[in-house]
Amino acid sequence: MNNIIANILRFLLLLVAQVAICQHVNLFGYMSPALFLLALFLLPLELPLSLQYLIGFATGFVVDAFAHTFGVSSFSCTVMMFLRPYIVKMLNGANNVKFENIDRPVPGVKDFHWIFLYTLILTFIYEVSAVLLGTMTFKNFGHTLLVIIGNTTFTVFVIFCIEYIFHPREKKE
Amino acid sequence: MNNLIEFFKRAFHIIVLAVLLILSIVMLGKSLSFNENRLARAVQSIVGPIQESGAGMIHRFRLGPENEELVKQNIELMREHENMFIGKEDTVMTEMGKPDSVNRKQVRLYDYTYAHVIYRTVDRAFNYMIVDKGSNDGIARDMAVLSPSGVAGVVTDVAQNFATVRPILHPESRISAVVTPANQNGTVIWEGSDPRVAYLEAIPQHSEINIGDSVFTNGYSNIFPKGLLIGTVKEVQVGNNASFLTIKVKLATKYTDIYTVYLVENLFKDELDTLKANFKDE
Repeated sequence: MNNIIANILRFLLLLVAQVAICQHVNLFGYMSPALFLLALFLLPLELPLSLQYLIGFATGFVVDAFAHTFGVSSFSCTVMMFLRPYIVKMLNGANNVKFENIDRPVPGVKDFHWIFLYTLILTFIYEVSAVLLGTMTFKNFGHTLLVIIGNTTFTVFVIFCIEYIFHPREKKE
Repeated sequence: MNNLIEFFKRAFHIIVLAVLLILSIVMLGKSLSFNENRLARAVQSIVGPIQESGAGMIHRFRLGPENEELVKQNIELMREHENMFIGKEDTVMTEMGKPDSVNRKQVRLYDYTYAHVIYRTVDRAFNYMIVDKGSNDGIARDMAVLSPSGVAGVVTDVAQNFATVRPILHPESRISAVVTPANQNGTVIWEGSDPRVAYLEAIPQHSEINIGDSVFTNGYSNIFPKGLLIGTVKEVQVGNNASFLTIKVKLATKYTDIYTVYLVENLFKDELDTLKANFKDE
């Protein structure tokens, strides 16, 4: 119960931060953080898959509504949520079939390496999908690639900052 | 049958996934056609107000630089106004030394710069303002000071980086003015304590002044260019002095929230002052 409230609060907070602040940030024209992804990353993997997809879709829809990019974020989030369990399995070495509470990208629960790859891969998946759907063209692909890499770098950086500020490593494995 | 239910149970999340993805694609497709986007309009009506307040907040952070740009742009425009120039005639001589043709040209008489008020008083008998530019920035004594809405005062004292401005709200302040449409010249003075109201003096009693008439500078002083708004007539009384009216003027400049001011430099001030001094001596 406590967990649910914490999750909902985190969702609201990150969504507000996204639409109020992050959406207006654009460094050098190709670096814009997608902070709300953190809320999706921290979503428990034990939830029913369909519910995870729905949450992803709804989150994307809200972000879309504020950015006037209907379908772009919703699609990308849903795809990311679909691929998330497979990424976790891959990172765990495929021997861990059942997901547990410890499969969260939280400092202290997982090591830096795991969190970094988890965040990087999922952010990259989201950004590839979102940027490509947003530009809708392969023209000027160099710049599109730059935007994908810039957004991913910035997002991972911001998410890491927040992760390590709010979860000090008190319980080391 | 059981198998079918079992299959649905197992495949349920795949169906949800497919539905959501298709929904996204449909939204995306719809949003690409510009004409008929009911979804966007519906969502915008909810999101719009939230976004507006957020954008306003962010905009406020950018107001500073934006204002500076606008002030500079204003100055460029104000410099081109006709009251900045005086007409001159140049007579072109032929080779024989006889007048051939006349060139009318506009000679710049006034120039603008701007400053910010960093301190001002409005509630005293002798009010003053301090602006953040001084002799290093080319500010000199007797430059005219304008607020965005009208005449503000005159520079009285200049330090290296700051200057003191005597606003209209000062007993010694005197500004030659003309009230339109009666076209009568007078002097705007301030007495008393209300920072919103000044008096227009020396308007003959026979002139027809109505409430709401505008009071402009007349350019006689060589400090203020012609045609700058000082205020509007608020009240007309027949004064004690039988031959003149007492006119209350609502000042255009709001001294209580003045920040950016424009300073006007008369480029020929020395020349004109010399002439006037000669006149006095005689």
